[in-house]
Amino acid sequence: MDSKTETILRTEDLRKYFPVRKGLNPFSRREQRFIKAVDGVSISVQKGKTAAIVGESGCGKTTLARTIGLMTPATGGKLYFDEKEITEAKIDRNQIYRNMQMVYQDPESSLDPRMKVAASIGEPLYGLMRWDKHVVNEAVDRSLQLVGLSADFADRLPKQLSGGQKQRVAIARAIAIQPSLVILDEPTSALDASVQAQILKLLLKLQNEFKLTYVLITHNIAVARYMADFVAVMYAGNIVEYGPTRTVISRPRHPYTIALISSAPIPDPKTRNLLQTEIRGEVPSAIDPPLGCKFNPRCPFAEGICTSSNPPLQEISPEHFVACHFVNKTA
Amino acid sequence: MAALLTIQDLTVAYESRSGPITAVDHVNLELHQDEFLAVVGESGCGKSTLGLSVIGLLPKPPARIVQGSIQYKDTDLLRLNGNKIREYRGTEIAMIFQEPLTSLSPVYRVGDQIAEAILIRELRKRGQSTIDSEFMQRTYKRSARQLKRTARVGHRIPSDLSEEVIRYLKLVRIADPEQVLDRYPFELSGGMTQRVMIAMALSQEPALLLADEPTTALDVTTQAQVLKLMKELIRKVRTSVLLVTHDLAVASQVADRVVVMYAGEIVEDADVIDLFSNPMHPYTSGLLSCIPSGYKDDSELTPISGSLPDLRSLPIGCRFAPRCPHAMAICSKQNPSLIQQDNNHKVSCHLYGQQN
Repeated sequence: MDSKTETILRTEDLRKYFPVRKGLNPFSRREQRFIKAVDGVSISVQKGKTAAIVGESGCGKTTLARTIGLMTPATGGKLYFDEKEITEAKIDRNQIYRNMQMVYQDPESSLDPRMKVAASIGEPLYGLMRWDKHVVNEAVDRSLQLVGLSADFADRLPKQLSGGQKQRVAIARAIAIQPSLVILDEPTSALDASVQAQILKLLLKLQNEFKLTYVLITHNIAVARYMADFVAVMYAGNIVEYGPTRTVISRPRHPYTIALISSAPIPDPKTRNLLQTEIRGEVPSAIDPPLGCKFNPRCPFAEGICTSSNPPLQEISPEHFVACHFVNKTA
Repeated sequence: MAALLTIQDLTVAYESRSGPITAVDHVNLELHQDEFLAVVGESGCGKSTLGLSVIGLLPKPPARIVQGSIQYKDTDLLRLNGNKIREYRGTEIAMIFQEPLTSLSPVYRVGDQIAEAILIRELRKRGQSTIDSEFMQRTYKRSARQLKRTARVGHRIPSDLSEEVIRYLKLVRIADPEQVLDRYPFELSGGMTQRVMIAMALSQEPALLLADEPTTALDVTTQAQVLKLMKELIRKVRTSVLLVTHDLAVASQVADRVVVMYAGEIVEDADVIDLFSNPMHPYTSGLLSCIPSGYKDDSELTPISGSLPDLRSLPIGCRFAPRCPHAMAICSKQNPSLIQQDNNHKVSCHLYGQQN
């Protein structure tokens, strides 16, 4: 197979529903309702590339990451990793985690406060890989060096580190076992601007060095543009647009993508895009989303059909997919 | 333009077990009438402390005003006692906080909360230009009683008052204000609660509005709506704004003038166009180049090396020197002061020559 287009991760109609807790009345006749956090997502991620999943809070992007990372079982649909289906119940998760790691948003809570840095990074090396002590020690030192921390950080506790350093440790832990896929869940949104830039640069350097594949979850368009080869825009549990970064960002076709991109403030006082945006309303409730296209109440192009049927993703140009009934109107 | 607010030599410290931490260090700042000023900086730079000290909401202790003055119109706000500052807080100087849900009361309906604000404004207009604390107490009791009573009869506030509340909710573009009136804050989305906060703040027709990260907790599309709304309303009621934010991009979109803070000090103070086209301080230009602005294959980020200094053990000399690509010998010896360069562009850096 051509290594350029080798798919490492693929989802087919992936769904994750969370049941809404019923009231206290055990005889309540109210039917069981669900939060449809991820509602039929089909994407594929190419080896060695970065796929960014962009969206606002509550759109399901983190749930999608957690479902892909097998932290939570999928409600429906299929998930393939390295051409193997991994949604089955009997799957050996340890086997999968040897090739798939995750970096979380808040390094404060993803590192054990009582474990020294070396122990945190070494944990997966013992537990998952069953390496010997001296191999682990070497690997810990090497990963610390890779993320730009000196060896004396190994004996520190998380409370002795700054936010950026903690996130570096979390990254070191994820790459220490040399996985092929790393899921990055908002890796820089808890960090200050100057530290964010350092971490983004580090992530790109590591990707180049080890041919890592990233699934990057972010709400920040600028971060997605800088990091990703492909961008998927999520809205209320669905992917509404997917394609190469340059195409999606410079020529967005879904009305939501257009609104999202024009709402992102750009650091230039001469082009005040923010004060021109026309988007109205807010992200809908995930329990009772609008019928049809979930964006229709906020959409300037909405017509009758938009309230009755949810448009599927269609390929409007090579590799560029948009889910909109009136995609020809946004050209 | 006349200065509405003049902060002079303000130093605020927080007491801690390991000695005082100076969060705001000898800050001088002027805010003019009808000006939209943004204070930008990373976490711990003292921007929020600066905002809170203007409105007298610093938690004391541990905070302590070491020295300085905050001149608002003809009064030094720092000299006022607790009762006196209440004449200004919320009325002359209003504030919008980052977390709208924690700044609205969870047990009152939003309509009642806005009504209370309007009630106080009306009472203030009727003769009581100076509100002593007893009066405030009475007003508060009365309006609380009124709200309690009205709450019993179908949660209805007097109709003229409710019309006024609806007018304000419409002003901040809340759809079906009649419905929203009777809701509790937790029933509203983040964007809506922030709009309610803005409605409450602006119902006082304040001369000065402090906004501490008002859109940081919001999504980008909501942020765009809220900022656009703020900008329009401010023009309408002629309010000056002091916006505290960590986001240079947001500041560039809304502010007239931007002040950049680093480790408790102002390092640059300039007109917004000037600051972004000609950033003088290495920290400002560093921050600007930290914002990812291009695609993966055609752009390079140049992050500022190092990390923010610990306010307990600040470097000697310029606080940015250890991270600065242009640091010279003098930078590690002497802290530069904020000096006017050309028209309305002040910078604190040895690169631009220092007067002795």
